[in-house]
Amino acid sequence: MLGGALVWDAHRSKLSALYHVGTGVELTPGMRVLYLGAANGTTVSHVADYVDVVYAVEFAPRPMQDLLEVSRRRKNVIPIMADAARPEQYAPLVESVDLLYQDVAQPDQAAIALRNCAFVKSGGFLILMLKTRSVDVRKEPAEVFQDTLDALLAAGLIVQESVWLAPYHHDHAAIVCTKPDV
Amino acid sequence: MQSYWFGDVDDERCSPFDGDVNSCVDRIRSISASMDTFIPLDWKQSVLCRTCRDRADYIARLQAVCIAAAERSIREHYSGKDAELLQMVRTLDEFDTVINLLSERVTDWYITRHPTFSRKYRRTPAHVLVKTMREKSRGALGRVAGEIEHLTDTRTVLAKEVSARANEVMPNTSALIGGLVAARLLSHAGGLLELSRLPASAIQVIGARTALFAHLKTKSPSPKHGVIFQHRRVHNAPKEVRGKVARVLAGKLAIAARLDYFRGVAVPEFLNPAQERIDAVGKERES
Repeated sequence: MLGGALVWDAHRSKLSALYHVGTGVELTPGMRVLYLGAANGTTVSHVADYVDVVYAVEFAPRPMQDLLEVSRRRKNVIPIMADAARPEQYAPLVESVDLLYQDVAQPDQAAIALRNCAFVKSGGFLILMLKTRSVDVRKEPAEVFQDTLDALLAAGLIVQESVWLAPYHHDHAAIVCTKPDV
Repeated sequence: MQSYWFGDVDDERCSPFDGDVNSCVDRIRSISASMDTFIPLDWKQSVLCRTCRDRADYIARLQAVCIAAAERSIREHYSGKDAELLQMVRTLDEFDTVINLLSERVTDWYITRHPTFSRKYRRTPAHVLVKTMREKSRGALGRVAGEIEHLTDTRTVLAKEVSARANEVMPNTSALIGGLVAARLLSHAGGLLELSRLPASAIQVIGARTALFAHLKTKSPSPKHGVIFQHRRVHNAPKEVRGKVARVLAGKLAIAARLDYFRGVAVPEFLNPAQERIDAVGKERES
């Protein structure tokens, strides 16, 4: 807290870092957001300040308890305890969204993003926070980055922006895509 | 037909789901969509369904159901028999670290008061040393030494409880490698289900992470054993067969962990031949 306002720290939140080093996606009041890898709900609460509703998906029980506390205080956060790699389990709960935000520590991050793209409206956005070290610690981060970009392009997404989040987060990259109109 | 949390929608017709929050939790856990034929949910259908009045009502109801569902999942996660053992063994290992750090620090402190003191060539066990320091020191130093003794006592009690709990939660694994080491395997794997899903080759090197990644990244040799080295079967084995003992033991542990997860009782038909096999390998010598 600083002068009564909640501080959005770029060293702690990757989305904040993206706004520092790049352009990102503007968060508007009518937006519906699907947030994969919500963790303790820190970034979630910042996003929820700007948009209509955030569907926050998290798998691990321990951070989920914190996320539930966040949801109890914010009417527009819907906590979903599920595995982001299995969207069919939470599909009956989530509507079409304008923005898919993904920050998960999994090896197959591109595949998870593509599977969840079914929820994104035509013309909607995907922000993929790529944790290169979670994909494969033996590979060079730049190589993982390129492979992921290729996978997203091959699936027909339009890559708008791709930046490394240094100096705020090491070996992390942000990829912003749009889903083309069908 | 598409099933959503508030009801089933078929073309424009909707059959609402009536029930309280709890039965709605049951519902969302049982339904799942096929992603190929999936039609994204439209909240307005819930109004057609007469489940919700407007958007605010829709979000409020959905949030209540999702919070209840998550609370139930969290409760279930912590109700497993392995959940508490996991915390117990991690606390135990933390105790060891703290006791060692404090003992070293207190010894350094003690030396400034007794500059001629040295442990070299003396076979004084650590706990005797701490006791001496407590008795011979006044003020805070003596109290800190007393605190270390206290921690050591608690550690002993905790170790016994960990061992007993491990025998109960993972009887087969504990029979092969002892309760303490079995519990440490569980702690590294993250749970009994996770341990039972690991291949034997992974169990063999649990706890040797640094050596394993050094091996994967460079040309250094692969680690032969991780936490399983702590068991006498592995560290007492002659050096030339130690790797083999570790490998055979890990193979049997992988089976034991699965028996523990799926049956939960000791299985003598498996344990007796397994014990014999591991002992036989330990006695082998390359001629």
